[in-house]
Amino acid sequence: MRQLFILGTLCLLSFSWANAQTRSVTGVITDTINQQNLANTTIALLRSRDSVLVSFTRSDLKGKFTLTNIPAGKFLLMITYPGYADYVDDITINDSEARDLGLVKLTLKARLLEEVFVKQRIAAVRLRGDTIEFNADSFQVREGASVEEMLRKMPGLQVDKDGNVTAQGTRVEKVLVDGEEFFGDDPTMATKNLQAKDIDKVQVFDKKSDQAVFTGIDDGSKTKTINLTLKEGAKKGYFGKIELGGGLANRWNNSLMFNSFKAKRKLSVYGIMSSTGKTGLNWQEKGKYGGGGDNMEYDEDGGYFVSYGGNDEFDNSRFYGQGIPTAWNGGVQYSKKFDADKQNINGSYRYGKIKTAGGGNTISQSILPDNVFTNREANDFLSSKQRHSLNATYEYQLDSFTSIKLTSSGFVGNQSSLSTATSSSVDSAGNAINTSSRNLTSNGTNNSLKNNLLLRRRFRKIGRTFSLSLDQQSMANKADGFLNTNNVFLGKTGQTINVDTVDQQKINDIINSGYYSKLAFTEPVVKNVFVELSYGIRVSNSEAKRLSFDRNTDGKYETLNPLFSNHFNFKVVTNSTGMTWRYNYKKVTLSGGGDVAFANFRQRDVIADTALRYRFTNFFPRGLFQYKFNSNSRLSLNYKGVTQQPTIEQLQPIRDNSNPLNIAVGNPDLTQQFRHSFDFNFNSYKVLQKRGIYTYASFTTVSNAISTNETTATTGDTIGKRTFQYINLNGNYNGYSGGTYNMNLSKLDLDISFGFNVNVSRYNSIVNNQKNRTDNNSYGLDVGINKSKENKFDFNFSSSVTYNRSVSTINKANTTNFFTQRHSLYANLTLPYKFELNSDVTGEFRQKVNAFDQNNNVVLWNGYIGRKVGKNDKGMVRLQANDILNQNKGYDRFVTSSVVREETFQQLRRFFLLTFVYNFSKAPGGNAGK
Amino acid sequence: MKKIFLLPILLAAFMVSNAQQTFVSSGKIEFEKRVNIHKQLDTDEDNTWKDMIKKTVPAVKISYFDLLFDNGKTLYRPGKEVATAQKVPEWFEGPANENIVYSDLKNQTFTSQKYVFESVFNITDSLHNIEWKIWPDTRTIANFECRKATAIIMDSIFVVAFYTDQIMASGGPESFNGLPGMILGLAIPRMNITWFATKLELVPVNATELVPPKKGKKTNTSNLRTQLKEVMKDWGKYGQKNIWQIMI
Repeated sequence: MRQLFILGTLCLLSFSWANAQTRSVTGVITDTINQQNLANTTIALLRSRDSVLVSFTRSDLKGKFTLTNIPAGKFLLMITYPGYADYVDDITINDSEARDLGLVKLTLKARLLEEVFVKQRIAAVRLRGDTIEFNADSFQVREGASVEEMLRKMPGLQVDKDGNVTAQGTRVEKVLVDGEEFFGDDPTMATKNLQAKDIDKVQVFDKKSDQAVFTGIDDGSKTKTINLTLKEGAKKGYFGKIELGGGLANRWNNSLMFNSFKAKRKLSVYGIMSSTGKTGLNWQEKGKYGGGGDNMEYDEDGGYFVSYGGNDEFDNSRFYGQGIPTAWNGGVQYSKKFDADKQNINGSYRYGKIKTAGGGNTISQSILPDNVFTNREANDFLSSKQRHSLNATYEYQLDSFTSIKLTSSGFVGNQSSLSTATSSSVDSAGNAINTSSRNLTSNGTNNSLKNNLLLRRRFRKIGRTFSLSLDQQSMANKADGFLNTNNVFLGKTGQTINVDTVDQQKINDIINSGYYSKLAFTEPVVKNVFVELSYGIRVSNSEAKRLSFDRNTDGKYETLNPLFSNHFNFKVVTNSTGMTWRYNYKKVTLSGGGDVAFANFRQRDVIADTALRYRFTNFFPRGLFQYKFNSNSRLSLNYKGVTQQPTIEQLQPIRDNSNPLNIAVGNPDLTQQFRHSFDFNFNSYKVLQKRGIYTYASFTTVSNAISTNETTATTGDTIGKRTFQYINLNGNYNGYSGGTYNMNLSKLDLDISFGFNVNVSRYNSIVNNQKNRTDNNSYGLDVGINKSKENKFDFNFSSSVTYNRSVSTINKANTTNFFTQRHSLYANLTLPYKFELNSDVTGEFRQKVNAFDQNNNVVLWNGYIGRKVGKNDKGMVRLQANDILNQNKGYDRFVTSSVVREETFQQLRRFFLLTFVYNFSKAPGGNAGK
Repeated sequence: MKKIFLLPILLAAFMVSNAQQTFVSSGKIEFEKRVNIHKQLDTDEDNTWKDMIKKTVPAVKISYFDLLFDNGKTLYRPGKEVATAQKVPEWFEGPANENIVYSDLKNQTFTSQKYVFESVFNITDSLHNIEWKIWPDTRTIANFECRKATAIIMDSIFVVAFYTDQIMASGGPESFNGLPGMILGLAIPRMNITWFATKLELVPVNATELVPPKKGKKTNTSNLRTQLKEVMKDWGKYGQKNIWQIMI
């Protein structure tokens, strides 16, 4: 059929070509008033059936024109000349005809063009491109009438007894509502269920097949389609998700999320209860059911950064800590835009509770001159936390230049915990040197309130802006608990030479409050050069009360232990001012400047009734160079200098005996350290060639680094006890670098990536009165392979190997060298009969370091098999297996100046879960909810 | 010395019945190209994302292009640069937005130079054969009375053009052409892009300026289309949008 058509077209074309030479239209254009021949007049031939331009020419200096190479048929001859009325006439050109029109006179009396063109304008009907649009309110229908009744009244539309709609003679097969399909593909669903009064516009057009829209190649299949656009007020609907999961051994994961919207107001609620590690909404769910959107940052060159998650477990979607969590979570969120979207309010309430039980083992090696102490500790803990949070945002765009944003957030919560630990230490010869046991309980409350007001104003002069930010923050933590420790120090032959016990009540009460305001002004100085000036003042007050009470003989904790009790008030006033110059032109961005801050500390010891003052002047220079090669390649170099003043804890530590084998001592002579950081970034992606490279490097060197001076008792009645103090030293640095190259093997459609990473660090310290220099370096390589086909399979393999090396000058014999490896294989398969299979295996292998004899290798294998169920595959039944090999454990290895520590802790192990997930929705305007 | 072509001058010339001056055969037109970025975003389903972006980018991205024309040849190229308060990130507007298009209307060929991501293409082919439908509607653009014409390009994209027969060259912005005069206004509703002439300068056009762009990898329309389709086959509607934008 198609071939026949092409053949026919070809014949026609060749036919018209053969005869075209002989057909022509000639004439002379003249004007009726001046009797002058008109040069450059436009003579156009339009096909009379659809006004398509077939041929055109211009008259010559004498007003003569000739249209040649024209096909036969019926045409409109349109002759136009500026200032003259259009001349339009019907003309029929027969085969082999050379038509001479003679003198064509252009006058103001010529027939008006409008009369001969097909009339397209009907009241309340508009043509928008290839769409006919009816204004719904122009068609009167009875109260409560359905859309179907309204369609009957519209010109060119017919509705039969079954509700089938015909438009311009073609059956309508699709009815969309605001461009979306309305509950499946039955067109009568929308026309019968929606009310005419909710409809704003009815648009009739030919919808191309999805394939044609996607590829842009018209496959000729078109569907007559009606799109109903809803009035603002009718835009209500909802969507949601329910998930029910249960398994053996008390494993469950249930959640319900629901969002209802009506025009510009949105209300959503959610509830989650899980013993499988889900502690909140993930980022996709946050967009739909949570507040979302407030944590987006934006830079001038088009970078967007959205940060989700936050400071603690309550802000994360999954539990990443130690132990096994059981969590309950819920929230309500409301938002509304009004005043033509100029004002916007958003408020939410959340509740969360997490109970965690866990335990683990820690082995640490203290590297000393001529000796190595090894400590082994076993610990267990239980904790419970809950929190109520409120958040509110109000934004007001006063005009196109000025905006105000008010943000408030706060929470109240409480927590309780219980932990126990026992440990013992041996020296390098294997002789026991001490044993320790520790019990700590704590009950507390915490609350926080933050308010921010941000006023921004732009000016007519481009680049001139002003902003004022006012912040208030307050926070209070109270805790009440008991500490019980028993430390036994052993002599050469294993005899007890000292026993140190602690039995105390600990009352901690910490209150912080502060105000901060910042004023910033930017001004364009000359073209492409801007300067930013800022001034800020911060005032903060805090009170820290840490009281220890020893147990009396009658069992009451009433005697204040002055050594481990303190009560301080701090007042800090910081004035800062800054200036930054910025040059920005096309490919180059250059900026430089800095801040200077004057900080005044006042520390009052309430118990001793003494006061100390510190004054610091801190500098923060900055520099940036950025070059954009093109939209997908850029290079940046960055310098940042930061003065860091010592913390109060480092100057005047609060004596803390919660770990009696590790004691901090203050150093009032400590001064600021200054960090110089250099960053390099280069990335380039070739879109058409599907390959890219991303590299980065960073180096930081610290002068007057705040480092440690530590002493571990190697003999005597406190053997193995570590005492440390902060001091200023030079020569510390650290750096890292890495890169990834990725490419697509187009023949196999395989994505491959190769990467490397290097870390170096040098840390100077003093260990048992000897200068020590520790070098920690690691070098890693990784490779990844990915192949996927949408709705068929997704396959991913990645592998990385890292070599770690650590040497300390105080004990060169004791270098720590080890390999770590990580290999992972992920596969997701879509199977017939709506089944889906998923497998994810990750193996982590850590080479043993001579001292650490435990097996630290874990192969974690998770997987599920699922099947889509229900109408439109909106539901899914899934059987999920977590840690099929039952090997999971948490693991961390720290290598610091003189301590190598390895920690393993309990995490969720093997469990099976049967889950049912169902998504539901009701589209805007619909009466039917499914 | 530049003279701005204004209607009063035109009318005065017309009144003394020196009809030759009614028509312009060479000069320079400045086009203002407007891309409605917010509307482009409306095709995105993710509402949260969309609302966030709308706060940070201006609704419309404006850029300027010059069209030189003389003796049956036209050259369309990026024009003046205007500073804006809010910058529009480059990736928003997508590829091929600094095109240079040289059209030889007599020989019905064009050569264009387009930046497409990391590559520069130099495309030579015969002029697009657009089937224009002529309408009775008129509107005034840059003091010229223009007639409306519509067409469907690339099988599915509806375009509206306004042309004036007072300018002799049958050209227009990008590679739009084929009307009995110069296109001074052009809209592609589906892509939310418009071009409208802001002024015509009756300046002598230097023949050495009116030459095809030389930079870029040599290709033709069908080869480029095949290559783009292969690269963007997994990009969904963004791929389609990119292809349209590059191919116009």
